[in-house]
Amino acid sequence: MTELFAVVLFVFVLVTALATATLRDVLGVVVVFAAYSLGMALFYAFLLAPDVAMTEAAIGAGVTTLLLLLTLAKTVRTTPDQWLERPNLPALAVFGALFVVLVATVVEFPAVGEPGVMWDNPGVTQYYIENAYEDTGVENAVTAVLAGYRGFDTFGEAVVVFSAGIASLIVLRQVVFTRE
Amino acid sequence: MSNNSNDTGTGKESAPGDWTTDSPMVSNPAESTYVESQIIMTTVRAVTPFSLTYGLFLMFHGADSPGGSFQGGAIIAATVLMIAFAFGVAPTREWLRNRTVVALAAGGTAAFALVGLVPMAFGDSFLAHPLFNEEFGIKTKWGLEAIEVGGVAPIVAGVLVGLFFVLAAGMFRDGDTTEPRTDGGAANHNRTDQPQTDDEGSPTASTGTEAQTDDTGMPAEDTTAGTGGDR
Repeated sequence: MTELFAVVLFVFVLVTALATATLRDVLGVVVVFAAYSLGMALFYAFLLAPDVAMTEAAIGAGVTTLLLLLTLAKTVRTTPDQWLERPNLPALAVFGALFVVLVATVVEFPAVGEPGVMWDNPGVTQYYIENAYEDTGVENAVTAVLAGYRGFDTFGEAVVVFSAGIASLIVLRQVVFTRE
Repeated sequence: MSNNSNDTGTGKESAPGDWTTDSPMVSNPAESTYVESQIIMTTVRAVTPFSLTYGLFLMFHGADSPGGSFQGGAIIAATVLMIAFAFGVAPTREWLRNRTVVALAAGGTAAFALVGLVPMAFGDSFLAHPLFNEEFGIKTKWGLEAIEVGGVAPIVAGVLVGLFFVLAAGMFRDGDTTEPRTDGGAANHNRTDQPQTDDEGSPTASTGTEAQTDDTGMPAEDTTAGTGGDR
């Protein structure tokens, strides 16, 4: 049952990703991209990463889609003469090469949840798993790492989000007022 | 999701080209795309309390269950976006000012920095949470919670809502979307009157300065009146 679910989800994500890349109608691309994000969110949940899944669902499928739709409503949307994008052959060749390399790497990965697998940087990861609760008193180890052990990184990210947001607000405000 | 596609769908059928050709002001298209739909409003009215509660839950309970303040802040912002889609951007901006939104983001960043700086004041390193336990007897957990609830969530919610508002209506002074259009008209009218008395001589120069004064966010009527008095 879960295998079937995974296969269906994989096909769904693959089809929506291809449609996002190849469709010419911009509104269609935005809608399909939202569906892709929702599929990816389900995928993360399926791979036992609920924190990432929630972020993907809220930001990727929700807010980004709204912002893109708003931008579309503000700009001209031409009706394309063809339905699909014409493939760019050199780009396709580069993509093919990258695809082969990635697939060759992925098949070497151990199965999800396989016991006794040594992951990258085992010392640090094992330390977090064993000591996160005693050190911080927080049950969600992800939160303990984000706000505790890696708090400085999170601070940097927060400042980046803040300054990027403020910069966008300033630039957009100037655009709004100088358009006439 | 269905209300989005519905919204833009009706906009597309009515007039795809009209928006940009005859109305250069960016605020108008969003209001013209707004369709008052009983179905959307009823749905949003029913869903909003739950999504807002879920966002707050993720924010406050992120330390002990999946989720966290980033996700919580995003869902709270999405709730505001949903309300704006159902009831129109202008009415939403009436109770949620730009000032509030920007203050939320800036205050979050300041709170985060402050929590980090307190241990430094006591000679420890930046964001060294265990110090709160050693110095004040506060659980280490509350330092993390302060960052999450007081820092990250307001930043995410404020930035997302702010971006949405500025994309939807432009960042006008008091959230009134109809005002700048009359301002633009007044400025245009003024512009055609001025050139013969203008020192610079060229009307393009005066339009440039007027655009510059508009950038500061002052109401255009005041600025044009002011420059007229100077001349």
